Amino acid sequence: MNRLERLMSDISSYTEDNPYLQHITEVIDTVRSIVFEPGVSADKSPFLRDYIEIKRYMFAVVLAVAPAALASIYFYGWRALAMIVVSYVAGGIAEVTFTLIRKEEITEGFLVTGILFPLTLPPNTPLWMVAVGIIVGVILGKEVFGGTGYNIFNPALVGRVFLTTTFPVATSSEWLIPMTGGWAGFKQFSVDTVTSATPLGVFANSGTLAPLRDLFFGNIPGCLGESSALLVLAGGIFMILARIIDWRVPVSYLGSVFLYSALGTYLWPNQVAPPVFQLLAGGLLFGAIYMATDPVSSPTTKEAKWVYGVFLGVMTVSIRAFSGYPEGVTYSILLMNMFAPLFDEMVMTFRYGPIQKPYK
Amino acid sequence: MNNTKDIFTAGLWEDNPVFRQMLGLCITLAITNKVANGLTMGVAVFFVLTASSFIVSLLGDSVPRRVRIPVFMLVIATFVTLVYMFLRAFFMPLSQALGAYVGLIITNCVILGRLESFSSENTPWDSVVDAAGVASGFGLALIAMSVVRELLGFGSLFGVQVLGSGWTPWVSMILAPGGFLVLGLLIWVQRAISPVEEG
Repeated sequence: MNRLERLMSDISSYTEDNPYLQHITEVIDTVRSIVFEPGVSADKSPFLRDYIEIKRYMFAVVLAVAPAALASIYFYGWRALAMIVVSYVAGGIAEVTFTLIRKEEITEGFLVTGILFPLTLPPNTPLWMVAVGIIVGVILGKEVFGGTGYNIFNPALVGRVFLTTTFPVATSSEWLIPMTGGWAGFKQFSVDTVTSATPLGVFANSGTLAPLRDLFFGNIPGCLGESSALLVLAGGIFMILARIIDWRVPVSYLGSVFLYSALGTYLWPNQVAPPVFQLLAGGLLFGAIYMATDPVSSPTTKEAKWVYGVFLGVMTVSIRAFSGYPEGVTYSILLMNMFAPLFDEMVMTFRYGPIQKPYK
Repeated sequence: MNNTKDIFTAGLWEDNPVFRQMLGLCITLAITNKVANGLTMGVAVFFVLTASSFIVSLLGDSVPRRVRIPVFMLVIATFVTLVYMFLRAFFMPLSQALGAYVGLIITNCVILGRLESFSSENTPWDSVVDAAGVASGFGLALIAMSVVRELLGFGSLFGVQVLGSGWTPWVSMILAPGGFLVLGLLIWVQRAISPVEEG
């Protein structure tokens, strides 16, 4: 945290002194003030106590997911950006309609849902489906429970699961092969090369493993945001250092996936893929970093976060290895979202004794 | 509750068996993927409920309290068997589409609930009006649900394609999750129109 803050202020003072970089100082400072408290202390009024509130939190998440979003344009063309725009517009309309009906303030929570949702979809999802998915996610995943802060499930994943069950052909049988080299997708609107399976699907069908190097840098078919493990990890490390997310959830989630699949691949080599492949393939990293750490739908207490992460890992590997689905991150996270309040209550009971209910 | 119109509209809307009393949900969720199925089930329940309500209200106090449930079941089962045979004889495809659910009308809580709480203690005329209201409310709920589900799930109504051949079927609407989602949304709509009085 401190190191990152120092780095940011170094960059800022460096650009200030450098005649060529002077005009980007403003941009750097804006980014800094979004993530950290401003480094200067006020000597004249107004004196404001600055703290990390929901708006700053949400902007930081969007910032952390930006590299993966840019990479999706690089891999799959400008259509990826079109999907993000459609998601923001359609979901924004749903969100604003509800806040107007309820006469509440518009919260920034949607900024995160609106960008995470399209990144969990296959690159050739029709744009109207993106709109349907985000509207369902916002309304059924969040607004029916009372809005931001009251939702049991991660709204982006509710939208995704609705799309995969409602339009199974369009959302889970056609994948695109990403473009690489040179400007790749930045020169094109969309990719035409269609394939039938993601690395996880290929493993489930034939037991063939994709090269780890491709998985790490992103030269594999998959959902928009999950392509490059490297960029997702970078976003995660940024958020952990800036204390936007707690490190316990991703570490326990990825750790339990690693241990379980190491044991599993020894016992059932045909069904369970080896650990490093498991970690890099599919939506695991994306889910562990951006979805499982959602502050609303994940547990609050430290101990509960460990338990939550371990169960997530066990669920994910089990679904991948022993069910009809090649990928299980979405279902694991939604299922464990349901248990998050229970884990918290167990930890509180263990620590402080039975919780007094305000009702009988 | 002596006014005939009040009795009827209570069953149809304010105390709607599906949206308010949450009864008969098993059938509601299972057969509402097509409007034809929903309508048939609505008509079948209407017939069974009004007829058995009439009979039970005539029986009145002559049935000992302790054996009333078996007696009610017998009356209901008689009319359900009639409906079942009628469908087998004249509407074979519908009978096959509804499968076991026609027979399961016997266990529908909407029917037993009305007999137990209303028909056994009221006059035949009031009982029949109440039964007609509740059964219409049940039918209304079934048809509302099946219109939404068939329209989205197949793009059709009564099997006629109305949304064009380019319509992408919403597969989950035909399956169980769609049933739960649409039921929840319609309960929401019904309660938004006439809010529940907390008390």
